[in-house]
Amino acid sequence: MGCSSSLPDRSTGRLGGLNVSESGGVVDAKNLRVKLVLLGDSGVGKSCIVLRFVRGQFDPTSKVTIGASFLSQTIALQDSTTVKFEIWDTAGQERYAALAPLYYRGAAIAVIVYDITSPETFTKAQYWVKELQKHGSPDIVMALVANKADLHEKREVPTQDGIDYAEKNGMFFIETSAKTADNINQLFEEIGKRLPRPSST
Amino acid sequence: MSSSDSNSSSVDDPNPNPKPLDNQLETLNLEQGSDSIVIQNEDDEEGRQQDQGSSLNGSLNVNSDNHEPDDRIGLVRNVVWRRTNSEMEVDVNGPSSPSSSGYAGERGSSGVSEDDEIQEVAKDSALHGGFDSQAAWLPGKRHVDEDDASISWRKRKKHFFILSHSGKPIYSRYGDEHKLAGFSATLQAIISFVENGGDRVKLVRAGKHQVVFLVKGPIYLVCISCTEEPYESLKGQLELIYGQMILILTKSVNRCFEKNPKFDMTPLLGGTDVVFSSLIHSFSWNPATFLHAYTCLPLAYGTRQAAGAILHDVADSGVLFAILMCKHKVVSLVGAQKASLHPDDMLLLSNFIMSSESFRTSESFSPICLPRYNPMAFLYAYVHYLDVDTYLMLLTTSSDAFYHLKDCRIRIEMVLLKSNVLSEVQRSMLDGEMHVEDLPGDPLSRFGSASHLGEHQEPTDSPGRFREPFAGIGGPAGLWHFIYRSIYLEQYVSSEFSAPINSPQQQKRLYRAYQKIYASMHDNGNGPHKTQFRRDENYVLLCWVTPDFELYAAFDPLADKGLAIKTCNRVCQWVKDVENEIFLLGASPFSW
Repeated sequence: MGCSSSLPDRSTGRLGGLNVSESGGVVDAKNLRVKLVLLGDSGVGKSCIVLRFVRGQFDPTSKVTIGASFLSQTIALQDSTTVKFEIWDTAGQERYAALAPLYYRGAAIAVIVYDITSPETFTKAQYWVKELQKHGSPDIVMALVANKADLHEKREVPTQDGIDYAEKNGMFFIETSAKTADNINQLFEEIGKRLPRPSST
Repeated sequence: MSSSDSNSSSVDDPNPNPKPLDNQLETLNLEQGSDSIVIQNEDDEEGRQQDQGSSLNGSLNVNSDNHEPDDRIGLVRNVVWRRTNSEMEVDVNGPSSPSSSGYAGERGSSGVSEDDEIQEVAKDSALHGGFDSQAAWLPGKRHVDEDDASISWRKRKKHFFILSHSGKPIYSRYGDEHKLAGFSATLQAIISFVENGGDRVKLVRAGKHQVVFLVKGPIYLVCISCTEEPYESLKGQLELIYGQMILILTKSVNRCFEKNPKFDMTPLLGGTDVVFSSLIHSFSWNPATFLHAYTCLPLAYGTRQAAGAILHDVADSGVLFAILMCKHKVVSLVGAQKASLHPDDMLLLSNFIMSSESFRTSESFSPICLPRYNPMAFLYAYVHYLDVDTYLMLLTTSSDAFYHLKDCRIRIEMVLLKSNVLSEVQRSMLDGEMHVEDLPGDPLSRFGSASHLGEHQEPTDSPGRFREPFAGIGGPAGLWHFIYRSIYLEQYVSSEFSAPINSPQQQKRLYRAYQKIYASMHDNGNGPHKTQFRRDENYVLLCWVTPDFELYAAFDPLADKGLAIKTCNRVCQWVKDVENEIFLLGASPFSW
């Protein structure tokens, strides 16, 4: 992470600027607007999850994300609230790790993704959880996502490991496949349900 | 690229003769001495070094006319340095076996010359049915399964390597970097061997191969090429590759090497193969890579003004640079006060954006560094594609400006749509650049009927024009193509290719010829040439350099010299007539 030098110091709080809005992203009790950040090693399928969720598409050719892409999607929950997710899909490459605070500062939700066929990406996911526990918003909602669940014959990270780790860290856990669309909408719906509602209600 | 080089002004070689010309070229290079010297010594240190090696079996010599298949270099473990007539030679210890980390270009192929390369390209383009050299090219790194033991790898015409000063591979154009660790170490050994002698190795010439070295602090760059491009051109290409790396990482990556000399940089560049391979590909189709100028999309003056005005608005609100581009061509560009953008930075930035597919899927906010603006610091680039080829880049120093830039983009996009700029851009892309067929006939009759780009008259509307609908037929006096570079504006315009320069191979060959003539015109050693007229079996090339502009023109090899000169005058007049449409005028000065 040698490229952090030209970044402003984390502690100065100058990086707080990618917040959705000053009011913490909440528009009103029935219409929530939240900032969501996806983190995880490169190639685990962060962009694929987002594109499946936002556009219903899946592109098997790998397109490396540069910096971070910004997309948004609104969903309606069963209690008739709507949630507009403003999603920062970050690049998984090592050179961007030092820049991650730029994207996760002020995020209400962090979705940390790993690939069930690669134990290294599970280790990387744990790194991100620790990083967020140290530097993220204290009340951030975190989800641990085990992606590429369709590749179960190549699985190297047991489901139970994910469940255990998530439980220990107070996270929500789900296995998904952006390819088959399995559990993708559920992931975002679950997150929506877990969002803290404005206290005024 | 055999050609009869004539570096003196206006020399006409009426007798092109392919075979011996090759040799002639080499002798000529030697005669010119200082510039093509194989190793440029800052002192005489090597004298001591080379004698350590004794055996000279099969040593390759620039002076030899040896173009036989054993024309190979081996940057083998047992390299022997030797000096004759101020030239450094590499001595190969016998034919390199696949197990040695040797590099042998053209092994076992006889009669190799650039035909070989062209076949390779032809194969690629035939595969994808492409006509335009850009379209025919598939992004991404190919031949990853190769390493220095592969025959195919050794036969590649042009290799590029980035390595660290400890010899760790960082990037290789062909093959898997990790498998090339031994080869990288060999390159590093050569560089440090010479450096230990208080000297610096710039170029090793061995037969048809040139090995060009560029040292940038802890980063070493090496090109191994048998394309006969001039040293200056290859060095310029290495500089651009280094700049591309800085654009991705900033120069502060050097600190990683200060902390740990054995630092492995490859993970930091993860996923950027495609950026480098696209840049390397552009060396053979994009003249900006050697002209150090950028090109604009032809547009009616008012259209470009409209785009500039809205970009100006946002630049006043804290945006450092606002750039609207269509592929590699600038639509409009505005810099904040006193900020100027170097054409090389524009080239590297647009290459980075265009080669990274992820920018096309959604709006992005990414750190990038402009090496000529400030190599130490990141800027933040908001990037958004407005249509399939047209993209907007808003650069800022502020890492938290995303939402502001997003708002700016929405405003810009609205104005561009309202004022039809985007549809004009699309139309201009279809119309292309200036066509040599449209060169106005008589300079005096240009008033009234002058061909104005961007006005979209039917060709038949203007009497001075006689354009064939699809395939060009070439311009008057055998004019095939030209490039005009405005020195003050740092912009160039390149005419659309027309018959017979149709195929990507021919276009590449012409660019290489331009590149060569550019290098010879900008060669400090020989003083600035004003004009150069060069005839070989492929073209007549005419080059004209003034304090205001440079003109490079290619004609039919049988073109008449007097007529060609007249035609060049007409081209210059034509460019001046339409400069409102082909150049971005009146923007903040870009002189660096």
